[in-house]
Amino acid sequence: MNYYVRKLGFYLVALWAALTLNFLIPRLLPGNPVDILLAKLQQRGGTVNAETRQAYTLLLGGDDSQPLLVQYGSYLVNTFKGDLGVSVTYFPAPVTEVIATSLPWTIMLIGIATVLSFIIGVSLGAFVGWKPGTWLDSLVPATTLLAAVPYFWLALILVYFLASTLGLFPSQGGYDVVLTPGWNMEFIGSAVYYGFLPALTIVIASLGGWLLGMRNMMVSTLSEDYVLTAQAKGLSDAKILRGYAARNAVLPSIAGFAISLGFVVSGSVVTEQVFSYPGIGSKLLSAVTNNDYALMQGLFLFITLAVLGANLVVDMFYGLIDPRTRARS
Amino acid sequence: MILRSTRARRAVMGLAVGAAAVSLALTGCSSSGDGGSGGGKGGSADTLVVYTGQAGDYQINFNPYSPTKIGGLGAIYESLFFVTNVNTNEPKPLLGTEYAWNEDGTQLDITLRDGVTWTDGEAFDADDVVFTFQLLLDNPALNTMGFGGDVSKVDATHVTLTFDEPAFVQGPELLGKVFIVPEHIWKDIDPTTDVMAEPIGTGPYVLGEFKAQAFTLTANEDYWDGAPAVKAVRYLSLSGNTAGVDALKAGTIDWQTGPVPDIQNVSKNYPGYDQITIGQNQMALLTCSSADLGCEGPQTDPAVRKAIYYALDRGQVNSLAFQNTASDMSPTFALLPAQEQFISSDIEEKTVPDAPDLDKVDELLTGAGYAKGSDGVYAKDGEPLSLTIEVVTGWTDYITAIDTMSQQLKAAGINVTAAQSSWNEWTDKKSKGTYELAIDSLGQGVSSDPYYLYNNFFSTANTAKVGEAAPVNVARFSDPAVDDALAVLKSTNPDDTAARQEQFDIIQDAIVEDMPYIPILTGGTTSEFNSADFTGWPTEDDLYAFPAIWASPDNVEIFKALKPAGE
Repeated sequence: MNYYVRKLGFYLVALWAALTLNFLIPRLLPGNPVDILLAKLQQRGGTVNAETRQAYTLLLGGDDSQPLLVQYGSYLVNTFKGDLGVSVTYFPAPVTEVIATSLPWTIMLIGIATVLSFIIGVSLGAFVGWKPGTWLDSLVPATTLLAAVPYFWLALILVYFLASTLGLFPSQGGYDVVLTPGWNMEFIGSAVYYGFLPALTIVIASLGGWLLGMRNMMVSTLSEDYVLTAQAKGLSDAKILRGYAARNAVLPSIAGFAISLGFVVSGSVVTEQVFSYPGIGSKLLSAVTNNDYALMQGLFLFITLAVLGANLVVDMFYGLIDPRTRARS
Repeated sequence: MILRSTRARRAVMGLAVGAAAVSLALTGCSSSGDGGSGGGKGGSADTLVVYTGQAGDYQINFNPYSPTKIGGLGAIYESLFFVTNVNTNEPKPLLGTEYAWNEDGTQLDITLRDGVTWTDGEAFDADDVVFTFQLLLDNPALNTMGFGGDVSKVDATHVTLTFDEPAFVQGPELLGKVFIVPEHIWKDIDPTTDVMAEPIGTGPYVLGEFKAQAFTLTANEDYWDGAPAVKAVRYLSLSGNTAGVDALKAGTIDWQTGPVPDIQNVSKNYPGYDQITIGQNQMALLTCSSADLGCEGPQTDPAVRKAIYYALDRGQVNSLAFQNTASDMSPTFALLPAQEQFISSDIEEKTVPDAPDLDKVDELLTGAGYAKGSDGVYAKDGEPLSLTIEVVTGWTDYITAIDTMSQQLKAAGINVTAAQSSWNEWTDKKSKGTYELAIDSLGQGVSSDPYYLYNNFFSTANTAKVGEAAPVNVARFSDPAVDDALAVLKSTNPDDTAARQEQFDIIQDAIVEDMPYIPILTGGTTSEFNSADFTGWPTEDDLYAFPAIWASPDNVEIFKALKPAGE
């Protein structure tokens, strides 16, 4: 029991530290929301003068007059009450509402892409590791090369060939805009169709990591005595591959997978920007460019919670399945 | 990509948005074939698809007084008159039919249109107008134009605005930019935070369907001036400039404002499309000019600012950085050609010099105590003349312009380096005055009258000490004579052109002499539009509204004027 209490205590401290950084970092950015809003209005042909500035300061709440410590206190209290404030960029929408509209898109796109790339990467890795030294090994540098290529470049290349030149997929957006979002086949079909290309680029770019890790674990697992024993008993290759080697080799990858699920929520800023996908990443970007403190804090909070949560689950899970972890700590 | 989308919002170079009136992508492939019949695809031929530079999702907000409104100005909510800064025409009657100022500019009588109804069927009358102006007075957070008068109803079709002091210069804004809202709905809501998800107005369009990546305005069949021929306007969200160009190429948008590669040949590269470039943004090197207000650096010396002015080769800048879309500019900041008549006769150079004048540069700098060193760079007290220009990363045309100018300036003996920073940081430096030079453009006011630009960018009221945020006058120019002239202009009837010109002369002499903003060229705003499927677009000869899709309510005047081809 002691193990779990200590773990939980650690996570509480980590959460507090994250919340504090969350509060401080946005405030270190140069500029303030009102000036940025005014600059934008001005450059879109709006007339801006001293009165305009005064009006918008009143409208957006000029709480920068309060001391930082007071702001910090009310921030912590409001966070625990679930009140994340009002977004300046999407004024007057509350931050929770902005996040709620974009979170499902990110979770679906990045979530499915992560699961797919894990399954494909691990299966290929098991297969390649089963026959080390053959031509199959060339898959390793090939996929790591794709992972090493700057992601946005890979995405643009795919957009160029698959969307612009061949016209197989739409190059941007989350769904066909003539449809009304809802749980009907037509809309879901469109969302899948629009999501395919972004998902494909994520899978291609992240495949290499899973494949390499799995392949190396396979190679070392294959030299274990129990694999030799299984072979001596005359079990079929397929059975050894699945039941003896891959099953043990996949354990570290599963831990990595659980953690990477935590990062699903943070989405992928670059993916969403390249494909103008309506997810968390594009919201985060607009929050940063508009100095929208409340929205930034809200998004970072969600991301922090997701990553901490995923780690916590992995920790608990390990404590459960591997008694050695508990005993040593 | 990010930066490009930010850049797209900058009206400055005509980056804006474009629009093209087309059918959706879906119908795009078939539209050329049988678009005319229109029967099968339920009216897509009269749907105009526009792209305003919106990157990312739309968040519903049709509150005309919210800074984050996404549309509806002029289309759903109408002002009393249509006022534009692209021509010098009289205001065009909308909900108002006539207006008159009293002798000293303290009373404005407005006659309203009779027989207008809100789109929910209620009748529109003077109470709604009084309510709207009172709304501004009661909610300082909405009063962005600083309306400080009183409003009263005379009868159902007449209202009167009264002011404590002459308010002639507020006229265009009050008549053209106050969007009248229905009292019977707005009296029960919080006007600062309500997003008006179901907007009720008097305008030619009503909100059709709203989705995060697109929304549609559909024609108001009961509009007082007759329903518009364009039955629906669909606003799309794309990822930025590049996406806009792609969409144009694919024929999925009908109107966008923003630069495209090879602007001169739009009709060749995008069959069915045309472009129009309107110069409205006077590009300048902003300088933190006033040592009294705390500015530091060699640019606080007017001789240095003028030396830079004479050292530029603007023809080269225009062709290398702006695809030759920029146009001539007056050092008085009176916009050419529309405001040419306002230029003082005392000003010798009516337009900025096209080629550098190195003798003049030498004369100016030597006069200010600089001497040319052995490395060819001017120096004073052992300090070489060296300046930094702030620019936003990703504003490629400005960066190219700076590169070009820094080579020209180097040849003239002035060292200039570019400092790229994020939009936020750049805005912060400008408004706080912690910069030497920055490249930007000076925008026009509500109507085509240089008063507004002078008042915004050259008045003491709009500036602040270095370290404090200046609302507009970031050069920190402050001259009591100019402030006095602006005050006189404020109380002079706009029809008294001779009296106004006297004051313009004073201002122009001062700003040409001091040159707190170093004029470069007038930047053009280029829009590309679908001229094959829609007719009635503004032309240079008939510029009835500013043809940028993001310019509202100008865009609505264009929506109303367009006709689907073949009808």
